[in-house]
Amino acid sequence: MTAQATYLYAVIRPLPRGALDDLTGISGARVRTVERDGIGCVVSTVSLTEFGERELAANLNELTWLERVAREHDAVVRAAAQLTTTAPLRMATVCRDDAAALAKLAELGDRTRAVLQRLDGRIEWGVKAFAVTRPAPVPAAAGAVSGADYLRRRKQESTERQQADAAAAEQAAAVYAALADESVAGCRHRAQDRQLTGVEEPMLLNAAFLVEHSSAQRFANAVDELAARYPALRLERTGPWPPYSFASLDPS
Amino acid sequence: MTEGIPARPDTGSLTRPDPAGLADVLERVLDKGIVIAGDIRVNLLDIELLTIKIRLLVASVDKAREMGIDWWEHDPELSSKHGELMQENRELRSRIEALEAGRSEQRS
Repeated sequence: MTAQATYLYAVIRPLPRGALDDLTGISGARVRTVERDGIGCVVSTVSLTEFGERELAANLNELTWLERVAREHDAVVRAAAQLTTTAPLRMATVCRDDAAALAKLAELGDRTRAVLQRLDGRIEWGVKAFAVTRPAPVPAAAGAVSGADYLRRRKQESTERQQADAAAAEQAAAVYAALADESVAGCRHRAQDRQLTGVEEPMLLNAAFLVEHSSAQRFANAVDELAARYPALRLERTGPWPPYSFASLDPS
Repeated sequence: MTEGIPARPDTGSLTRPDPAGLADVLERVLDKGIVIAGDIRVNLLDIELLTIKIRLLVASVDKAREMGIDWWEHDPELSSKHGELMQENRELRSRIEALEAGRSEQRS
């Protein structure tokens, strides 16, 4: 028999026994919940041949493994979030066994309770803003253009471009501020690289917002209104997500 | 069941992740969430370095290959070739040891 350990997906408000029984977790393992003092934890058993210290470090650097496990982790967290208040744990949180996992949770005590309280009835939405690509400036009429005129025009074009970039960045900040007002909390992730998004336009805002379930429609409307107000930006809404970006033991 | 999430067909469902959103998933599951020290320690610095690299990666490995981006296959840190190189290294070392041992035997 190979050595096993307990993988932790999320801290939850306890579910009825068997609520997650149909769920398959990382590497096909059955998902379970453990519970102590009114705090639950979604777990499954993993093999140390995959999640031992050295194996895990190597696997995390293996992109296909990383993608698979990230998606499996996310699927379990999503399923739990469908049923109860769910505070995701960072991927690859592994304890020796269930008892060790419960001991870790007990150590955190009221801090986990506070996190769950903050997340009760709320969900995360992502909003990204891209700068809309502007049409290239119309080339000057051919013919009588002096060198000085040409340089002057080039300089003017470059200034205009810089001003447009600055304006778009300001608008992205305004979008963030407006949506932060519409939500319980907001957080700005790092903008994703063009190579990562596969989108030519630069990403100016990569934000997440914690929103009351009951306000989901209002939040969506707010995004639409902002998209209409700022035509220089293309807004993209993702979600709903389990509240990954707001499951922190040290709220800011 | 406590706190159920009501079905909201007009605003999407939690159970249907956007398959294209690998970058979004990774930035959440690796960078966010409650951090507790498990019994299996993961070097946080390694993960941070990794996420920086992943930020530069296209949405999926296959898509990246299609686009001709395959730097990780040449990056020992991100590649299984790392293991092969280590193995090759070990084999070379033992061959050198064997050769050196042979030479000292000849000398004596």
